Amino acid sequence: MSSKNGDKVTLTIDGREVTVPKGITVLEAARSIGIDIPTFCWHPKLKSVGACRICYVEIAKMPKLAVSCATEVMPGMVVHTESEKVRQGRRAVLEFILLNHPLDCPTCDKGGECDLQDHTFAHGIDDSRFDFAKYRFIRDKKSTFDDFRLGPEIIRNQNRCILCYKCVRANKEVFGEYDIGAFQRGNSTEIDAAPGQEIDSIYSGNLVEICPVGALTNTDWRYKIRVWKTQTANSVCQFCADGCNLMLWKDRDRIYRATSRCNDGIDEGWICDRGRYGYQVTDAGGRLTTPLIKRGERQEPATWDEAVALIARRFKEIKDKKGGVCIGGLVYPGLDSASLYAFSKLFRTVLSSNNVDFRTDYKMLPEKKDDLYTLMTLQKFSIADIEKADLVLVIGSDLINEHPITNLRVRKAVTRNGAKLYTLNPFATKSGDISVDEMIHEVGTIEALINGICISIIEQKLAPSGPDTSRFTAMIEPNRLEDASRLSGIEDKRIISLAKALGAANNISLITGELLTTAIARENIAAAILNLAILAGIPGQGQIGFLSKYANSKGAERLGVMPHLDSRKISRLKDLWGEYPEHEGMGADRLILSAKKEEIDSILVIGCDPLSCYPDGQFVREGIEKLDFLVVADLFETRTTQAADVVLPLSSVAESAGSFVNLEGKVQQFDRAIKPIGQTLPGYEICNLIASELKGPLYDSMKALQEETVKLLEAGDTPELDPVFHEVKLAVEKPDGDYNVPLYVVDQLHHFGHLTEKSQSLSAFCNEARLEISPSLAERLHATNGTLIRIESEVGKVILPVFISENVDNEVALVYRNFSATPVNVLQMRKRRVDYVKLTRVEEK
Amino acid sequence: MEKRVLFKHIDDPEQVTVKGYVSNGGYRAWEKALKSMKPADVIDEVKRSGLRGRGGAGFPAGLKWSFVPKGSPRPSYLICNADESEPGTCKDRELMECDPHGVIEGIAIAAYAIGSHISFIYIRGEFGGPIRAMERAIEEAYAKGYLGRNIFGSGYDLELIAHTGGGAYICGEETALLNSLEGERGMSRIRPPFPAVEGLYACPTVVNNVETLSTVPHIINNGAAWYTSMGTEKSPGTKIFSLSGHVNKPANYELELGTPLSYLINDLGGGISGGHRLKAIIPGGSSTPFLLPGQIETPLDYESLTEAGSMLGSGGVIVVHDKTCIVWVIERLIHFYRHESCGKCTPCREGTGWLEQLISRIERGEGTPGDLEKIDSICDNIMGRTICPLGDAAVMPIQSTLRLFRDEWQYHIDHKSCLVKSEFEFA
Repeated sequence: MSSKNGDKVTLTIDGREVTVPKGITVLEAARSIGIDIPTFCWHPKLKSVGACRICYVEIAKMPKLAVSCATEVMPGMVVHTESEKVRQGRRAVLEFILLNHPLDCPTCDKGGECDLQDHTFAHGIDDSRFDFAKYRFIRDKKSTFDDFRLGPEIIRNQNRCILCYKCVRANKEVFGEYDIGAFQRGNSTEIDAAPGQEIDSIYSGNLVEICPVGALTNTDWRYKIRVWKTQTANSVCQFCADGCNLMLWKDRDRIYRATSRCNDGIDEGWICDRGRYGYQVTDAGGRLTTPLIKRGERQEPATWDEAVALIARRFKEIKDKKGGVCIGGLVYPGLDSASLYAFSKLFRTVLSSNNVDFRTDYKMLPEKKDDLYTLMTLQKFSIADIEKADLVLVIGSDLINEHPITNLRVRKAVTRNGAKLYTLNPFATKSGDISVDEMIHEVGTIEALINGICISIIEQKLAPSGPDTSRFTAMIEPNRLEDASRLSGIEDKRIISLAKALGAANNISLITGELLTTAIARENIAAAILNLAILAGIPGQGQIGFLSKYANSKGAERLGVMPHLDSRKISRLKDLWGEYPEHEGMGADRLILSAKKEEIDSILVIGCDPLSCYPDGQFVREGIEKLDFLVVADLFETRTTQAADVVLPLSSVAESAGSFVNLEGKVQQFDRAIKPIGQTLPGYEICNLIASELKGPLYDSMKALQEETVKLLEAGDTPELDPVFHEVKLAVEKPDGDYNVPLYVVDQLHHFGHLTEKSQSLSAFCNEARLEISPSLAERLHATNGTLIRIESEVGKVILPVFISENVDNEVALVYRNFSATPVNVLQMRKRRVDYVKLTRVEEK
Repeated sequence: MEKRVLFKHIDDPEQVTVKGYVSNGGYRAWEKALKSMKPADVIDEVKRSGLRGRGGAGFPAGLKWSFVPKGSPRPSYLICNADESEPGTCKDRELMECDPHGVIEGIAIAAYAIGSHISFIYIRGEFGGPIRAMERAIEEAYAKGYLGRNIFGSGYDLELIAHTGGGAYICGEETALLNSLEGERGMSRIRPPFPAVEGLYACPTVVNNVETLSTVPHIINNGAAWYTSMGTEKSPGTKIFSLSGHVNKPANYELELGTPLSYLINDLGGGISGGHRLKAIIPGGSSTPFLLPGQIETPLDYESLTEAGSMLGSGGVIVVHDKTCIVWVIERLIHFYRHESCGKCTPCREGTGWLEQLISRIERGEGTPGDLEKIDSICDNIMGRTICPLGDAAVMPIQSTLRLFRDEWQYHIDHKSCLVKSEFEFA
């Protein structure tokens, strides 16, 4: 709906003159002045189809009733939204819709929030002229109320369906999915899953949320509670860094569902299934509810007082004897900002240690100040601006999996704005139905490919006039297009065509993701990408987004939960605390290495499970086993809590108020939905208890803590990137003999991190680690879905069932990191850029 | 008398071949248009001829073509609507079966006029014969260079793709046809945007009926003045009428517009069959209101039929004799419309189902007092309130018979049987 420079239209609605942007509909114009016109099939984010006909209005000089959702405003229009003719028309539509509607409101989950109930109520229809038996769709006579399963979490009751087609339309228009459709014709039309398929896309829950009646319901909510008995709490999703706004629906300390709390700047009202069903983690069985202290071989329940006293005593002993530098901390970047801040403050002011890190599932990270990668993550980036792009370039990201909602914005740029989409990845990713130039490069050669694009831009004379390109080729390797093409395996003409497209584009969104974040070579790749951004004219002609992974990775960066901070941040913290440890801190990798060398005596872990997640499981185990004293706080028992001397029960996000900083750097507050389960405590309180016992409280009041945190978060700098080219070195690793299939440890589409396996609904989509491979590789292994494959690397082996992916088409092995039963980090080597594995079929005996 | 323009060579068995077609003067208009006319000239000529759409709506063809935006960066498409499904109409079928090259030549000229290089013919799925005839003819036309690259050395390229429908009446409605052609479910789209601006694949598109397009080569060959010399002032030219029902010689007849209905039924059709008397006429396909015997002198043209309370529609003239129960006729029709309603908009989807239930019950002798008023009111709630004309088409014949034959309806309810016992055999 465009409203270009003052293009306005004035019309009269119900006697009120209103001036609105040209091009909007009568419905939108009426809503803008608070006149509510009923709708069923209309949705603000979908194209109008005018199918349900309930939004009739009367327009002067038009003989027929007009559907306001599909009638554009015209100057001088005189609209009546409540005339007798309009009300008659709407009553007729409701009469038609109710002909065969079962009116089973007493047992319908939608009761109380149903558009059909509301509109019928508003139009006072209490009788029907229909005197035939109602038509019944029955698919499954065994279940009650004609309920029919369309997917792991979606149940259909066709009798209630009013055929607004919103589910089918949203699925196609917004999500690019085609797993739901209409079958049969006329009043026998049924909504159903595509033949032989289930509705199991990452966006499936939205289809239920936009259903105006009780035709589609999801299994978590149905038959559990009436909506009017619940209260809502504002929340923010914790299962990736997009920062989608959620509403949690609860009653007496139990959460029943999560829905979208539309934020047009981020999610536009769509959330992914991880966000929708992830709340079940809070209520899942098996939560840790009391502190545990290891006595002999067993961990036994203890009180908080006992646990905190023990921790304080041991920390003090270590600190007094060897110094705080012998204590380290690892924290989950999905914790709220106050907890991350308190964690850092505990280490730096009480324990005098800089050994804190939130990057607990990355490989060896460069440990230095002001690294280029971190600078890049601080660049200004907006999800909403993606849709203005005419070219989107995604580098090193399976976007739909890592950032499902940002992915929708990219899709919108393509489908609504006609943007061109390019992706540079080592394996094919799901792009849905949109047109994409997908460049699948040889693994571990991304910088060569990017260099190739840079060279092409210069050769095609498309570089912007500012930066001096004369010395550029001397700084990079490879520096010839043909070498870049040969190394990366991408034809030179495709590289040139991307270079030309970048040169022609006026608004570029350059997005990078996890495959870059977690790469050992990320500093080098970041340099290559920065060169490319300069040559593409960014930021003048677009934006660059180094997307962080976890819900509060950005917060952790801003709050300084890393060993090495830039001088500005250090001086800010010094001002705030009056002290700051002088010694060089250690990041996650060096911390574990030092533990192995017995240079570190104790680690405090909050919310993460390095034993199952940190690359090279064996390395982590050897490190952890050498520790004198391990303290672990988490929601559930994990491999790491099992190894702990003290285990502390941690509250989930729903159990305390706080804030997250999303991948754009937006600070978003969320409310407490329910009171903490058992004796669990949020991270900041745990840190404060330990600090109080050792030295004194970290903060005087919650308010003071929040203020300190927010102050630091809002001091988030966006350093200017100098348009100066950086050196790029090539470091290609070759596979070693038998181990020749590149391995990628990824999140399963419906899971995120180590918590979501506890969600019953998400486990209904997938509940085990699998080996995801291409159909051709499966054929070579004589494997079908479920065939067990032995995956061996130089350091470990795992046996997993095969999942043949329609998307992957080259020889790579993707394994899921989300399932505690099968930790796949044992396959990884921490110093390797790319892990290679050998795959063999497990022969049945 | 018959005025054969489209049907001039319809009885020549060689007309279906490219050789026969060319020897009868075929493809001369195409060559003339390409070599000596600009697209705008073609549009002008057709505009001046006053040719109106023969699919049912009667919209001026040249005007429709001129709505295609000039200089659009997107391609435009010409689509021939050959999804002829209107009950009582079978003219396009005969044109495609007996004169397929005439259809192709019309498509080619129209495509040229709107600057389209890709054209489609969407043929009704049940049309085995016409599909085979069209596909064979398209192949021949490509082989002879009337389609394809650099036609007549003019540098103009044109592809013609034959697409077979899946067997839904609704796909004859142009926006549903577009959805179907795109691979979507055949359901109408709301307008605006009109297809000329945003049609197939959201590009400018013109959809014309087979008969309309078949007429174009004749206009190009003989000029607009020749065409307007036939028919009436506002409805120039000739039109094919499919005469069916209770007449002795049902067939397709091509007449000058403005010829009286009586001439078609009595002189060409050989009068009412079985020695019965005329009871009613549906003049423009099953979707148009009924006419009574007293209106048999009505001239067959767009304006006169509208004035008479009906429509020229697709030219499917269905004759009903006096030994026919009108409730039975309407039951057949509403069954058809209920079955063909696409299910998109509420009034048509739900309303046709309800109407069928009510009308069947009356036909079975189970009607109750108040049913007629209810039917009339349901029709009011459908009429003019749907996305596409299918809803209107379903209720117009019903409301027209409720007015014209109220006594028969009432008798059915009061006496649980027909006032008029049907005396004919039907398949």
